[in-house]
Amino acid sequence: MIAEDLALLREGLVALLREHEIEVVAQVEDGPGLLRAIAGHEPDLAIVDVRLPPSFKDEGLLAAIEARKRQPGLGVLVLSQYVETAYASELIGENTAGIGYLLKERVGDVKAFLDALRRVAAGGTVLDRQVVAELLAPRDGAVGGLSGLTAREREVLALMAEGRSNAAIAESLVVTAGAVEKHITNIFAKLDLPACEDDHRRVLAVLAYLRVAS
Amino acid sequence: MPTLAAGLSIGEYARSLLRRLCFLATILLAAVWALDGQGYLWPAWAWLGLGVLVLLDYTAGWAWRHPPGAVRRVACVWTLVGVAAVILVATWLLTWLLAGVHDFWPAWALLGLATAGSSYSLIALQDRVLVARGRRALRARIDLLTRTRRQAVDAQAAELRRIERDLHDGAQARLVALTLQLGRAEMSVHDQPEVRRLIHDAQREARHAIGELRDLARGIVPPLLADRGLVAAVESLAARYGIGTSIDADTHRSLAPAVESAAFFVIAEALTNTVKHAAAQRSWVTMRDEHRALVVVVGDDGSGGANASGSGLAGLRARVEALDGSLHVESPAGAGTVVEVTLPCG
Repeated sequence: MIAEDLALLREGLVALLREHEIEVVAQVEDGPGLLRAIAGHEPDLAIVDVRLPPSFKDEGLLAAIEARKRQPGLGVLVLSQYVETAYASELIGENTAGIGYLLKERVGDVKAFLDALRRVAAGGTVLDRQVVAELLAPRDGAVGGLSGLTAREREVLALMAEGRSNAAIAESLVVTAGAVEKHITNIFAKLDLPACEDDHRRVLAVLAYLRVAS
Repeated sequence: MPTLAAGLSIGEYARSLLRRLCFLATILLAAVWALDGQGYLWPAWAWLGLGVLVLLDYTAGWAWRHPPGAVRRVACVWTLVGVAAVILVATWLLTWLLAGVHDFWPAWALLGLATAGSSYSLIALQDRVLVARGRRALRARIDLLTRTRRQAVDAQAAELRRIERDLHDGAQARLVALTLQLGRAEMSVHDQPEVRRLIHDAQREARHAIGELRDLARGIVPPLLADRGLVAAVESLAARYGIGTSIDADTHRSLAPAVESAAFFVIAEALTNTVKHAAAQRSWVTMRDEHRALVVVVGDDGSGGANASGSGLAGLRARVEALDGSLHVESPAGAGTVVEVTLPCG
């Protein structure tokens, strides 16, 4: 289901999803509407805009958090015009399963967007690379383990936080899968995280670290 | 000065007694006249005399209280007029009682005295009256300018917020919808690589435009500030700097957008300076409500020596002063920097 107040974008999303055989059970325009629709349809996933009427503030985000409380298995993909790490941490809360936080313009890259959508619906975690970039950005005078990472390792970590697999990371950076694995081992060693093969636990580890950093 | 039991000095007691006696005499005379057949209103003249007596008391007190100058001179003149009037009326009373002269002959003389006193007062106080009027006009003008300037600043801030919102929800959202349509178009063209490339380029341009609009909107007012207010925005800002800034927020007012933005940008600039130049161990931000004002203090224990007239702080000062606020910077070399801002709120 979709909560988005701009009809043009909402209808575009609906058309896109239907083209790719994803059923859209409800479309709403505001936060209260989202909560009502979720109670009625029990969807697998909700796509939610952060700014929704009536307040046009963070109504969509608050509704998404509330919706996840009411329906714990619900996947939520939050779309926003801007990234705010505070919103990302709030959204993630205690449970990283089935969470996505992306900049709105990512819908333009249809393949990646649908991929993100499917991963969130399957209980994965997808963070916009800009959220990650902001968290990883070197700061003057800042103290933290992240400053020990090389530029390439940061890129890999950012892609990991987006929930990508090793193969996808290798493809995106145009390197071999073996090189990616080596980077990941280095990152885990530098951040003092236990290495593990499981994709999801890997994201959890990254997020746990990012939460501390933020 | 000797005092009586009630805490009044003898002089004050005498004056109060005089006023009461005058009041009593006024009523008694009226009663006598009423009982006497209510013919010719002779007590009127006696009331005039009593009135003059009270006036005399008043002007003498006035002259006594004022420092030497035009006001005291005027009070003295009126006291003299009063004394002359009392003498005239008393003389008339005697001529009336002793010789039966009913005609109130001092009338013209009293009128002359009053005219002379008024003329003198006008001339002596002319400057003061003009100055006072000028000062009143000036104060009214200052009030008007202060009010309208604040209204202008508030209107500007509200307008900027509206523009920010319009950018987000209007142009930017439409560009997002455009990239989505382009994405769908790209997906539907399989066998024409040239067209796909064109669509891809168009999408890239749209993404750049979205990014530029976002930066523009963020420069006007950071989204978190617009959505959640000052405290949340400052907390996020401090977290982003990652220098362990402690934040103590004790403000419960709903702030005008202009005040909120000014406070935020002051804190942002001060924290940026702390991060860039201070090499501080500790930094802190406090926000508290005072009577009709928000007080923000940003401090660190770093190297100090900040240039209070540097361009960053000067820009902030202009912004704060446009709100009738004040900005103080204390930054002795080696002893940290403290920036304190007071922003009046309605």
